[in-house]
This record gives sequence, structure tokens and C-alpha cells, in this order.
Amino acid sequence: MGSSNIRVLYIDDEENNLIAFKATFRRQYEIYTASSAAEGLKILQNINIPIIIADQKMPNMTGVEFFKSISKTYPDPMRILLTGFTDIDALADAINHGDVYRYIQKPWSDLELHNAIKNAHDAYCGKIDLRNKVTELEKTNDELNRFIYSISHELRAPLVSVIGIVNLVKLENMYNSSGEYWSLVETCSNKLDYYIQKTLQYYKNNKVVEETNEINFKSVIDELVAVHSYTDIDTNFTVDIDQKVIFKGDLFRIEVILGNLISNAIKYQKIDELNKRVTINVVVGETSVEITINDNGMGILNEHLEKIFVQFFKSKINHGSGLGLFIVKEALNKINGRISVSSDLDFGTTFTITIPNAK
Amino acid sequence: MQSRFKRVMLIDDNEIDLKINSKLINLSKIFDEIIICHSGDEALRYLNTDYTDFTPTFILLDIQMPEMNGFEFLTHYKQLPKSVIDNCTIAMLSSTLDFGDIKKAEANPYVIKLLKKPLSTNEVLALLK
Repeated sequence: MGSSNIRVLYIDDEENNLIAFKATFRRQYEIYTASSAAEGLKILQNINIPIIIADQKMPNMTGVEFFKSISKTYPDPMRILLTGFTDIDALADAINHGDVYRYIQKPWSDLELHNAIKNAHDAYCGKIDLRNKVTELEKTNDELNRFIYSISHELRAPLVSVIGIVNLVKLENMYNSSGEYWSLVETCSNKLDYYIQKTLQYYKNNKVVEETNEINFKSVIDELVAVHSYTDIDTNFTVDIDQKVIFKGDLFRIEVILGNLISNAIKYQKIDELNKRVTINVVVGETSVEITINDNGMGILNEHLEKIFVQFFKSKINHGSGLGLFIVKEALNKINGRISVSSDLDFGTTFTITIPNAK
Repeated sequence: MQSRFKRVMLIDDNEIDLKINSKLINLSKIFDEIIICHSGDEALRYLNTDYTDFTPTFILLDIQMPEMNGFEFLTHYKQLPKSVIDNCTIAMLSSTLDFGDIKKAEANPYVIKLLKKPLSTNEVLALLK
């Protein structure tokens, strides 16, 4: 067994060669023979053949011409060319146009030919395997994309309804009517929503192809500040933007990066601080933009500074997901940006990011 | 003070969201009247009938709906009489975080904004100004 079901087609106008080939290899392979290119083609049309051996010198059509003629219709089979004399032109042609896997001189050595067939078959299997894997991966990729889309809808829609109900309860002054139950429902819903949003951001960062858009930092940052300070009106923002040149970059990722940093700056304020402030400075240059986000919040412990960009790292006092800064780092990696941080428990934290200008 | 009568049409297949949003609008009094449609089809039937006096001035349109989604609704919407379209503003309202949806909504000339659920009456108010 084993190799017995490897099919080999041998095309040669010399009947004796066909007989000799059959006699030598019939125990190892399933052999088909043809005495002309036309006859060989007929066999190809009916049987799935992984390996074709053809003699170069045949009337009507040479081996290389035959291989060329089937390069579009039968691209998969591995081709082995047999020739009785060294014909450099035929050889060059075979390699350049006939996609020939091996070239073997006549009279062939049984061992050499046997090895060539074996290797050709391995290469054929590898090629087919690879193609199947690619198809499989494309399918998985597709499914993942659909899954991400469905998270963003099916999973989030009912959750958002719950948040809507809580808002309504507030509006009708019933928020405190059942002890702390409503505020607990609200906290849990917001937390779940936050996780869904972060998970999506992470996947999208991995999947969405980099894009170049013209970016106006003033409008991007103003909008992000408005979105994130919506629930917190105590924090004072100072935004200073120096953009005299056009900046081009990946808008989606830049929004993800700045959004996470701005939301952190708001979230990790000192609770008893009366003058909560966040300062954002943007300097756009010809080659890159430098953005600093500085707050007077609770700061980061020195020994934590190394770990804050690690997935799922959380400090005891914070109530984060351990995803925000990890996503920032991942997104920056995608667009060749850099980030550095300095922090002090008394004075707060400064993040500095640099992103190349793709102008 | 604007004297114009303000009528909002809510198009959403989600019964709970319809309930929440109409309650919210009633409480905030940003509109004088609410038309509730459970599908794009129902909304088109309403808009195609000659209710000259009852056409909405504002539409809140959900994206994900069975059979006809929000974007499909918009392609039918643009074929409505000019008198209807000219007096009406559309904002999409969705829980989507999908970048494609957001871009598509922003690119549509009939949509002034994509609002995120849950509905915030302040955001609607800002659009009405």
C-alpha cells in the first residue's frame, strides 16, 4: 500500500519507453500512459493526476509545449521533463514557462526517477495542503468578522436598553427608590458595556487594515473629550493644539489610543481633589506628531509603571478592565507609534505619544 | 421660541427601546407628538400616505432591523415626495460600534448624525438647534 494510489501520467511517443516505465514502476504507482500530448490531455480531463512525466522530443507537440498548454487549465500537477539530449533552449523554456519541477536525462536511472516522483508527490501534497489551509483560514477569518459584528449588535443592543431604562428611572426620580439596587444595576451594566467595547476595540485593532486619513487633531480631540467627559463634568480640560501642517495617519487607531488615554485621565482622578484637571498638548510636525496628556490624578506607583501596558494588569485600587492601556500599546504598534509615561503619586501622570506623519 | 409643531417618528423593531425612547421624549417634551413605527416598511407606508398635516419633522431611525434595515429604508426614503423630505431631519439611532456602519451613516446625505443608544435627549436637542 502506501504509495500505490499515487497516480502518474507518462507521455512518450516511443512505445518501448512506456512499456519499460510501466514494468519498473507499476508496483509503486498507479500508472497511466499516453503516446502523444493529445492523448495525455484526454487522460487529464478524466482523471485527477498529481504527477505528469513527459518526453521532450515528440512529434506534433514537445513536452515543454504540452506543459505550457496546460499551465492554465491544470496548474496543480507536478511536471517532470525527460529528454534524451541536453537542449539548453528547451531547458530554459521548461523552467521559465512550463513550470517544470524536475528535469531528467534519458535513459533514466530508475532510482533517480523514483526519487523525483516521490519528491514531486510530497511537493504536490504540500501545495494542496497549503491551499486547503488558506481556504480554512479565510473561512475562520470571515466567521470571526461576523462574530465581531454580531457582538457589536446582538450582544450590546439589549444591554444598551437596560442602560436606557436606568436613565429613565433617574429622569423619573426613582433612582433611589429601591435602596441602592438601581445604582448597582447601573454599575454592572456600564462595566459590561465597557468590556464589550474594549474587546471590540482590541479585535478591530488586530483586524482592520491600516488606513491613512487626513487628521485634524482639534476636532478629533474636542469630540473625544466631549464623549468621555459626558459622565464627569468636574474635570477641567485644557487643550492646546499646534497644527500648522497636514497630518495623515490612521484615524481609527488614533481615536482608540487618545480615547483610552483621555478616559483614563478622567477615571483616575483623586476623589477629593477640588481642582481636577487634564492638559492635552499636541504638536504636529512634518515627520510626526507629539501628544502629551497630563493629569493631576492619583498617579501610578513606580513599581507598576513597567506593567501598565500588560494585558489584564490592574492595580488594587483601580476599577479598570486591564485592557485600556494594553489596547493603546497594541494600536501604537500597528502604526509605528511610541509611548512613554512618567508619574508621581503627588502630582499625577503624563503620557507622551509620538506617531509618525504619513503625509 | 420656535412655534413650529414638532413631530418625531421612531422607527425601531425593538419594542423595549420604542417604549424607553417614547417615554424619554414625553418626559423631556422635546417633541409635541410621537409616531411609532415597528419597521421601515410601516414607516414608508405612513410617509407615502397623504398626511400633509401629520408628517414628521424628525426621524430617529434604527439600523439593525429585520427585512428592511435602516440603510435600506434610506434608499426608499429619498424617493418620497419633496414636501415630506424637505421638512424632515433624520438621525440614525443604534447600539452599533461597527466602524462600517458609522462611516456609512455619516456618508449618507439624509442623515445628520448617528446617535448611539441609549438615546440622550440632550444630543437630540443639540441637533434641533
